[in-house]
Amino acid sequence: MTTDAGALDGLTVLDLSDARGNYCGKLFAELGADVVLVEPRGGNALRHRGPFANGVSQMDGSLSFIARNNSKRSLGLDIGARQGREVLRELASRADLVIESSMPGTLDAAGIGYRDLAAVNPRLVMVSITPFGQTGPLADLDAPDLVCMALGGLLYLGGYVQGDPMCAPEEQAYAAASVFGAVGGMIATLHAETTGTGQHVDVSIQESVALATENAVQFFDLEGRIRRRTGGTQKQAGMGVFPCRDGFVLVMAAGIGGNRFWPNLLKWLHEEGCADAERLSGPEWSGHGYTDTDEARQVFAEVFEPFAAQRGKQELNDEAQRFRVPLAPVNAPSDVLSSPQLAHRQYFQPLFLGSAAPLRMPGAPYQLSVTPWRCTRRAPGLGEHTDEVLRQAGYGPSQVRALRDAEVVW
Amino acid sequence: MVNTHALSGIRIADFSWVGAGSFTTKLLADHGADVIKIESSHKVDGLRLAPPFSGGEPGHNRSGYFADRNSSKRSITVNLKSAEGREVARSLIRASDVVVNNFTPGVMDRFGLGWADVRQFKPDIVYLAMSMQGATGPSSAELGYGMTIGALVGLQHLTGLADDEPVGTGTNYPDHIPNPGHAAFAVLAALRHRRRTGEGQYIDLAQTEPTIALLGTALLQAETTGIDPVRNGNHHARHAPHNVYPCTGDDEWVALAVTDDRQWEALADLLGIERRPEWTHETGRKAAEQDLDTAIRDRTIHWEAEQLAERARAAGVAAGKVNNARDLLADPQLAHRDHWIRLRHPEMGSTVYSAPAFRLSKTPGELSRPAPCLGQHTQEVCESVLHLTPEETQRLRDSGALT
Repeated sequence: MTTDAGALDGLTVLDLSDARGNYCGKLFAELGADVVLVEPRGGNALRHRGPFANGVSQMDGSLSFIARNNSKRSLGLDIGARQGREVLRELASRADLVIESSMPGTLDAAGIGYRDLAAVNPRLVMVSITPFGQTGPLADLDAPDLVCMALGGLLYLGGYVQGDPMCAPEEQAYAAASVFGAVGGMIATLHAETTGTGQHVDVSIQESVALATENAVQFFDLEGRIRRRTGGTQKQAGMGVFPCRDGFVLVMAAGIGGNRFWPNLLKWLHEEGCADAERLSGPEWSGHGYTDTDEARQVFAEVFEPFAAQRGKQELNDEAQRFRVPLAPVNAPSDVLSSPQLAHRQYFQPLFLGSAAPLRMPGAPYQLSVTPWRCTRRAPGLGEHTDEVLRQAGYGPSQVRALRDAEVVW
Repeated sequence: MVNTHALSGIRIADFSWVGAGSFTTKLLADHGADVIKIESSHKVDGLRLAPPFSGGEPGHNRSGYFADRNSSKRSITVNLKSAEGREVARSLIRASDVVVNNFTPGVMDRFGLGWADVRQFKPDIVYLAMSMQGATGPSSAELGYGMTIGALVGLQHLTGLADDEPVGTGTNYPDHIPNPGHAAFAVLAALRHRRRTGEGQYIDLAQTEPTIALLGTALLQAETTGIDPVRNGNHHARHAPHNVYPCTGDDEWVALAVTDDRQWEALADLLGIERRPEWTHETGRKAAEQDLDTAIRDRTIHWEAEQLAERARAAGVAAGKVNNARDLLADPQLAHRDHWIRLRHPEMGSTVYSAPAFRLSKTPGELSRPAPCLGQHTQEVCESVLHLTPEETQRLRDSGALT
């Protein structure tokens, strides 16, 4: 029943963005859209960021670039030049979606903002991903990921209870905005396809991050309490990170739905002959209150840590899951790469770079039965598809040559 | 006609609960999809039991966490353990475009509501199943939450200080960003395919996999070098200073990210840090990062975080206060975007909800109603969606099918 069709077949997308939005374009590309990465002189900024793969030229070897730009084609285009902007307008007149992440007003000043492009293509959707959105007091602040994480509030919640806030890895603020940008872009695209009317999708990275603050704002609103960091300790007794024989495990035996898993935990510890398990039984362990006290945390640690110290993280996972206790190993990337479950799902896809053996890279984030996710090509070289993209847009060989000679395209 | 709702006309039979599923359907509900939550009053959605509660007082209809993730939806209670209840569920699915659940694989099948069953009577359904590790495989029966998923996929390992315990984000991060975002995108794409071809399909989203996709660089790095990347606090691979620094007051911090040498000069001048030739260039600062951090901390500790952030920005340095929940609610930029929306709920009163992270210029969407009370719309849905008479609905209530 699987077909060759992609859910987004027939959609044409121009990706003018960078680290802030490249993952958004990848989401469209791998469900079937034709996504053209429009790169400035010198190439997309991610190309210059390490770490790099071995065995390929540095321009093509940035792992951050690859992770966000597979399945796209590349067009080298100088949108700073008048002729370059004409080319962009021409391409936009045939496109369904433009993804961009320049600071607010930049494209407008160049005559290629949403209004300009909508004038040549009323059904065009433009997704703009910026740190704070298109307008407002901070709209002009060009903020790196760390600052977006700070102002979005997630940074405050991650880190050590008595120490510094800690930022999540790999620009998760940008990732969040890319993912929500894809949702907003897709909603607008569906609307444009049925009504013929496109629109501007204004994505705020700060706002995307704020959505990850869980219930923190509601805690303040409803109970007047500021939620703080809990890292390095138990959030409540039975919920936290604990050392084990070969690393750490994360335990969530408490804190879910009125401590519904606590009886399972007790059963597990009893059956495994944990001598002190008795100390965790009694009505005071059944909800909040006692389990929020330092004494309860101390008791839990005294019981669980010696038990965990004799077991490996995967072994603890397997035992806990048998008794239906939410627990997981704190896995390093290499553990993730060797996961039997992910192997079963054929999650990792081969990435061929140069002549070296293929690398395993993350594959389908979802499995669609009729229109499967597909990585259609490796991340493109700079300008690898310039001629092809221009030809498809109706430019003849001499026009392309003239644009190349003028260094408007490369 | 002004239609503010791009997804009006789409109906979702939403069997999902807790974090990621509920946020997925909120994204769609806030843009006009008619999301009907099918709930059980015997096994209540865990988020309804999760703090914070309005006035600090627990109750099925009082959780602020549940409320925020369930704006713009309706709720019907259905007892899926009763044959009549399952028939109600099937009728709801017949009247819907999308089915969403995030149960452990097999649960929906046991109710006769799995993909294999549903496609028999509703072949064009878009059926999203978002179990923790996917529909099949050696770990498919395992249970977990956002935080355990973060541990399983490497997010926890990569967050924190190298010589201390891994801390993660302190939240159930996969529930809030990777899973709802990817799930909503996949559903919308599948709806497009259905519009073009009439075909429905099954979407199997393992709640581990979208987060791994957002850690692609770390995984490729482990692949190419054979060495696991190490968590690195708030430091940047190249730029320095790049960290958070304590300010006056209780647990107040400023984030400073200097990305070139000129910015460093401006920051050093602002903080009164003596020029040192070895810190002039980025490579030198990066090499002396600990000393650099210490020098900055010694100064920031005398500043108010917000004031320092503003002065640093005025000097051309990207800076921001590390906002806590109170700061977020008062943040002028978020206020400008109307990010925080107050809705009046029958039991909770006026409480705060979050808007989506994007604004569509022509169909902005809206939080059209507060979170539903448990079973609040049972009667309404039975009559207006399933076209049952009040008497038929009453009979189903009496037989225990609607509890």
